Amino acid sequence: MGDLYLIRKNLFRKKTRAVLMMVAIFVAFLLFGVLGSFERAFNSGETGASATRLVVNNKINFTQPMPIAYLNRVRAVEGVRVASHWNWFGGYFQEPRNFVISFAVEPDTYLDVVGTDYAFVPEEKAAFLADRGSIAVGDAVAKKFGWQVGDRIPLTSNIFTNRSTGNRTWDFTIAAIFTPARDLVGTDVVFFHYEYFNETRSFGRDFIGSIVLETTDPALNDKVADAIDALFANSPFETKTVTEAAFNKAFAEQLGNITLIVTLVVGAAFVTILMIVGNTMVMAIRERTREIGVLKTLGFPNGRIFRMVLGESLLLSFIGGGLGLAAAYGACIFLAPLVGGFAPGLTLALPVVLAGVGFMVLLGFVTGVIPAMNALRLNIVTALGRD
Amino acid sequence: MSLASQIVTVTAINLRSIPQRMWVSLSTVVAVALVVAVLLSFLAMANGFQQTLRGSGAPDVAILLRGGAGAEINSGVSRDQLRLIEEAPGVVRTAEGKPLVSGELYVIVDAVKKASGTQANIALRGLGPEGFAIRDGFRLVEGRMYEPGAAEIIVGRSLLDEFAGFELGKQVRLGTATWTVVGVFEMGGTVFESELWADVGAVQSLFRRTNFFQSIRARMENPEAVSALNDYSQADTRLKLAVKSEQAYFADQAGGAGGFIQNLGWPLAVIMSIGALAGALNTMYSSVAARTTEIATLRAIGFGGIPAFVGTLTESLLLSVVGGTVGALLAYAFFDGLTASTFGGSFTQVVFSFQLTPELVVQGVVLALVVGLIGGLFPAIRAARVPLVAAFGEK
Repeated sequence: MGDLYLIRKNLFRKKTRAVLMMVAIFVAFLLFGVLGSFERAFNSGETGASATRLVVNNKINFTQPMPIAYLNRVRAVEGVRVASHWNWFGGYFQEPRNFVISFAVEPDTYLDVVGTDYAFVPEEKAAFLADRGSIAVGDAVAKKFGWQVGDRIPLTSNIFTNRSTGNRTWDFTIAAIFTPARDLVGTDVVFFHYEYFNETRSFGRDFIGSIVLETTDPALNDKVADAIDALFANSPFETKTVTEAAFNKAFAEQLGNITLIVTLVVGAAFVTILMIVGNTMVMAIRERTREIGVLKTLGFPNGRIFRMVLGESLLLSFIGGGLGLAAAYGACIFLAPLVGGFAPGLTLALPVVLAGVGFMVLLGFVTGVIPAMNALRLNIVTALGRD
Repeated sequence: MSLASQIVTVTAINLRSIPQRMWVSLSTVVAVALVVAVLLSFLAMANGFQQTLRGSGAPDVAILLRGGAGAEINSGVSRDQLRLIEEAPGVVRTAEGKPLVSGELYVIVDAVKKASGTQANIALRGLGPEGFAIRDGFRLVEGRMYEPGAAEIIVGRSLLDEFAGFELGKQVRLGTATWTVVGVFEMGGTVFESELWADVGAVQSLFRRTNFFQSIRARMENPEAVSALNDYSQADTRLKLAVKSEQAYFADQAGGAGGFIQNLGWPLAVIMSIGALAGALNTMYSSVAARTTEIATLRAIGFGGIPAFVGTLTESLLLSVVGGTVGALLAYAFFDGLTASTFGGSFTQVVFSFQLTPELVVQGVVLALVVGLIGGLFPAIRAARVPLVAAFGEK
């Protein structure tokens, strides 16, 4: 008769009670798994950013434009490996509610800069670079609208007007559909050729939104950023250069303090189960006082009894928590397409699972240690005498 | 003894014995309190955001944007279009015969969010000379008005509270120009209080957008005149501007982010309730177990099963109502009036404060009652079925 057998029998002697405790633990870990993953994906712009990537924006605000002539001057700065630019298009497909995150970019340099983020089929990539009227579509967008390579699609801008047609729609041929090349990258985005867009837009010609560049070495980031900003100081378009991580962090902060909200909700859930499970465990062990007295009489050492009680709360915590994390895994798969670009690459990742396991151990110990201590201290005579 | 007095007696015994099960009862109260507090904090956040936006628009002020733009930031309107609207029917005129129409330019600039120390998008609005006559509730509370054409800014109270960099008297460098903050205004906690205001001519010239506007606002004779103005605009090929009442414009924006927060609050609260429900069931089952002898003894001396049922259910409901009330108080103490800011419709920060209303508190207490009801129901059935033989102290 092994200890594990006894622990299991003890835990399930009152089935309803064990199941209820597990449900409470299950809920807390489900919330932890989903919200923890969401927070991680939401902040991925900061944590998942390339160490050598910098973003140059107009100092007034990132929505203000800069002259395209700035691009070549940035390229000449020492320590810049490659520089490209992007321009917000404000696009939607057919109806305004089908919003598409869309950018006009300089294709070859842009794909070089973001090369580590997206995976392309080589032939499709070549086709995209070769055709000025083509567009590269993230697989999340392609899936949403059922687009295939070769399709001709219209994108309408809520900002710009197309001079060649007089309306706000541009037509593109889908040349490539790309997929994420690493963890925490969202593909809820499309790119097309700046030249094609620039020639046909009604205003803002030869201006660009942001310059994005890769430095040759992360240690040079500050120096490069200072050099670029110094280059344009006192010009009509002063710049502010920051790392991609800092830029994304500031952007996420504008939406709100998601980390704080997640911490509060998960904290509340854990306090709840701590109260429920802790109380119930104390009660469950107290009911068995007499039995523990018998075990002690039979010669079970104190340490073994201590371990058995603690083992029971740990087992409980692991069953409830494990099921909770498993459900969180399924919930993340379900939620990923719904949250889209808001939390790119939402999935139950290893760091969240490991933290979850840590919390299970902690929960098992905290809820088990008081009843275990009580059992340890128990005097055989009082135990057997107690009703 | 009548059934009613039996119920009263047993319920009283139930409730008075709660202190004997202090800790386990407390765990239910805490669990329900936290669920309700989480729900109410989300609802108060969504409500505060929506109230701020909904309170911003007047029904008789028309806002005109380029068709399809949806928000001021995306729109573009020419000076010629502005002149046409000044001549449009239904527009209120001053005693001197000037139409109450304001062509406005909306530029996004950076400010530092005090809470996080990071840069955030702030609206710098250039207003036409009639911009103030169009808006009700504007009050300059500190400093003075900006001079027409000068690089001077007045700043909204909400913006000043949440963001650094635009304090009264401060010089702010935006592009090539240095602007001075000369005044602070209040406007009833509306979206406009999250903005910087300046003369439209100054903004146009210093941001190189001469003769370019993003929206036109017009005070109309009555709310019906707004839709008449839309027909007028659609009929003229030189205009083709989309006309909405300012009220409808902000109500649309309130739906987006506000609805999102609200849609997040309820599922979270329901999932957490399942955990709390498990706790409530546990508490009530152990309450019934602890009183088995007592209940059976009562049965033996002639009490029915119904009093035991009602007593147990009442105990559960009481615990959850106490929990719900504590949760509402927690939410009130920690969240009501808390200010925060997030993106509004035009890609700029809107400052709002959490608003906990009685209607929301009722929703929270109802959730608590549902937990208490389900959590008490099954244990109450068990209590009603305690066999008489249990009176003889089988333990």
